[in-house]
Formats: sequence, structure tokens, C-alpha cells
Amino acid sequence: MKRGWLFWTIVANLLVLVGLAFAYPQLMISPGPLVAGHTELATDCFACHTAWQGSTAQKCTSCHALPDIGLRTTKGTALPQRGLKTSFHQQLSEQNCMACHGDHAGPKLTKHSRKPFSHALLQPAAKQDCETCHAKPTNTMHSALTVDCVQCHQTDAWKPATFAHATLAQTVLARCETCHKAPGDTLHSQIQGNCGQCHASTAWKPVTFEHAKFFVLARDHNATCITCHVGNDYSRYTCYGCHEHTPSNIWRKHDEEGIVNLENCVKCHRSASGEHGGGGREGGKGRDGRERD
Amino acid sequence: MQARLIRREVLPFVLSLAALVAAALLIDAALHLLDIVWIGRWLGIPGTLLILASTAYSLRKRKLIKAGKPAQLLRWHEYLAWLGSLLVLVHAGIHFNAILAWLAVWAMLINVGSGLTGKYLLARSKRRLEITRKQMRDQGLTPAQLADRTYWDSLTFDMVKRWRVVHFPITLAFAVLAISHIVATFLFWSWK
Repeated sequence: MKRGWLFWTIVANLLVLVGLAFAYPQLMISPGPLVAGHTELATDCFACHTAWQGSTAQKCTSCHALPDIGLRTTKGTALPQRGLKTSFHQQLSEQNCMACHGDHAGPKLTKHSRKPFSHALLQPAAKQDCETCHAKPTNTMHSALTVDCVQCHQTDAWKPATFAHATLAQTVLARCETCHKAPGDTLHSQIQGNCGQCHASTAWKPVTFEHAKFFVLARDHNATCITCHVGNDYSRYTCYGCHEHTPSNIWRKHDEEGIVNLENCVKCHRSASGEHGGGGREGGKGRDGRERD
Repeated sequence: MQARLIRREVLPFVLSLAALVAAALLIDAALHLLDIVWIGRWLGIPGTLLILASTAYSLRKRKLIKAGKPAQLLRWHEYLAWLGSLLVLVHAGIHFNAILAWLAVWAMLINVGSGLTGKYLLARSKRRLEITRKQMRDQGLTPAQLADRTYWDSLTFDMVKRWRVVHFPITLAFAVLAISHIVATFLFWSWK
């Protein structure tokens, strides 16, 4: 008897609750209040939902005509232009409003799972024309580029980007300092430009230049770079930059041997200690003997 | 000798219910930390299926099915319902959105509570109380003395017994609310 009374009380309460779900679906069933623009639809769930099918694009476009999206309101009033971005909704490859829009604000579950705009939804032609929606960066590196954005960037995020020096014009490529700051250490501070003589554009390291292959910088020859490479030109060298090697002094030493080419010293001298040369730079020019590891 | 029902029986019961809530909170926190809360959205389905599977014992007990050993089915009833409830709790999260769904969650928690009452309290309380009474009778205590000494334990036992009775009606409430929530979800939502 007592148990029957409890049972029917619960049944009656349940019936009231189910009735309330029909009377106040926005409170009993809705996962959160609607966005401000749809407030008037708060109690009319089927304005946006089709039974058993969820929210379909057809329901959306019955009010939001596709040609007007981003340009005019549903009442026909022109929308103000918002900077560079034009309306891209007309360029979408398929109509799937729910892929980006969720009208029930509030529930974190749906908020987190809601995808932001996806470039995958754009038609191929619109997808490749980045500057329709995005302003080109004005910094030095980007202003010199003429290649497509997708050469370095992906559509899901600006970073990480993969930069390839090959995309730069030859004139820009030669001016490393435009983008890179020269190292301030003792060695590099003596050098201006021509980074490519030692470094490859793929990575700063490994560096392949070994001075000892051309001339061993030992004892008195461990001098500043510009002693031999006048004017920071590392494609040339001279042995007459110090007081020890004067042209007349060197001529005197070599004349008796019958040596007349007194410019390409490293052909015979690869160090201060003697004559171990062979195959050095011709006439001290065109250092094409540089090898890489 | 006192039966000490509260310390020996009520506390483990409360702790197992607390373990369910704590596990749900931990999993929910992990989903938030890893930014994979969308998983919780789908846990309602396996949770419901596990709870449905757990009702095999209830059906067997009422002779609606004849297969399976009741004692074994009871163990599965406990495990599956606990685990299913855990998944549903994570699915619900600590979000107050639709009232209907929240009522279903509360009905489920009360249901788990009443089920655990049966598991932890009723059977063992009865056994312990009988042992205590027998020991007291052996010590030569009169029925009046015996009733006096086991007053609080008897009172606790009676309350536990009453609480156990609500398991089926609360199951009914949970079933109706959960089905309403599921029907409403499928009515307004789609798999796509």
C-alpha cells in the first residue's frame, strides 16, 4: 500500500516533468540560450531544427539568403563593409552552416567542439586567393616575396611556417642581413655580407669552411681577416697586407728561383712553415676550391 | 558489543558513492586539461548501454529472463551500473544546461545511492545486527536490555531498509527522464 503510494507519486511527478518539457522546451531541453540575433526564436525550436534531422542548412537559408550573407541583413539592410574581408559565404563549396555556427551559446561542450572557419569549405579558386580575405604582411621578408602564401603557410594556421630561401628573388637572396642579424662574435664581426661563402641557406650549421685547407692561420698568421682579405672581400686575398711581406722583399726571395707569379702565394705556401702548396687559388682570385662536409 | 553500523557499514557505502563522483570529476578535469571535452559528449552512449546491460540482474530477479546465475548477475549489475553511471556523469560534466538532462543525472545518482544501500548496508547490517543480538542474548541480557543497547543500530537499520525500497521507483524515474533526454536529443540533433 505504502509502496504503491510512492510509485504513483513518482509517476505523477514524471508526467508533470515530461509535460513541462513540451511546455518550456527552452528551459527543459535547450542546451543554452540562443545568440542575440535569434532571441525571438527562443521558444520555437523547429524554426531551426527539423525533427530527427537536426539543424539543416535549408532552414538557415530560408531566412539567410546565400547571396545576401555578409552583405545584407535578413531584412534587406546593407551591412557595413568590414575592412579587407569580403563575404566568402558565396564561395563555400557546400552549404553546411553548422560546421562553423552554433546558435546555442553557453554550453562548453558544444563551444569546444565547435570548429572555427575551415578553409576546406572554400571552393578551390577562392581557397588559393588568400589576399581576398588576408592582408599581406608588410615586413621586409614578406614584402620581397612574390610567391604564393601556401609555399610557406598552411590554411589551418599562420604558424608554423616552412620558409624556403629558393622562393626569394636572387637580389634579395644575396642580402642576408635584410632578414638575419649578423652574429656579434669576434670572427663574424670582422665580416660584412657574403654569408653564403661559408653558410648554406638551408641551415646556419653545419658550416663547411675550413681556412686551414687554404692556409693555416698559425702564429703570426693568426691575424685579423682584413689583413689578408682587404675590404671584406673573401673571394680574394693578398699576402702583402703586413709589414713582413712587402712586394720588394718577396720579389727578392723568389727572383733567384725564377718565380715570377708573386700573387698566388698559396699555390706553393699553405702555411707559414714551408712550401706544401699545389692547386691553390690562381692569382689569389676566385676561391672556388671551397668544399663542403 | 555494539554493532557500530555507521562506522563499519555506512562509511564504506558513502565512500563508494564518493569514489564514483571523485572519479567522474577526475576524468572530467583530465578531458578539460587535454582539451578533448568533445569525448564527454559521446560518453552518454556507452554509459547508457552499460546501465542497460546491468539491468539483466533486475530482469532475472523478476523472472523476466531465466538465463544466468542471480548471484553472478548481481555482481555484474553492480559493476556495470557503477561504470555506466561514471560515464554518464562525465558526459553530464559540471554544466547546467537543460533541466531535463540534469534531473536525469540526479535521478541516476539517487538510484546508484539506493543500489549501493542494498549492496553495502542492508545485507551486512542485518547480519551484524543479528550477531550482536545473539552475543548479547548469550551474555544473559534481558530482551528489554537488548532492545535498549541496540536502539541506535536498530533505528539505523530501519532507515536503511526504507531507503532500499526506493530503488525501483527511482529507477523508473531515472528511466523516464533519461529516455526523455535521449528522445529530445535525437529529435533536435543529428549524427551528421
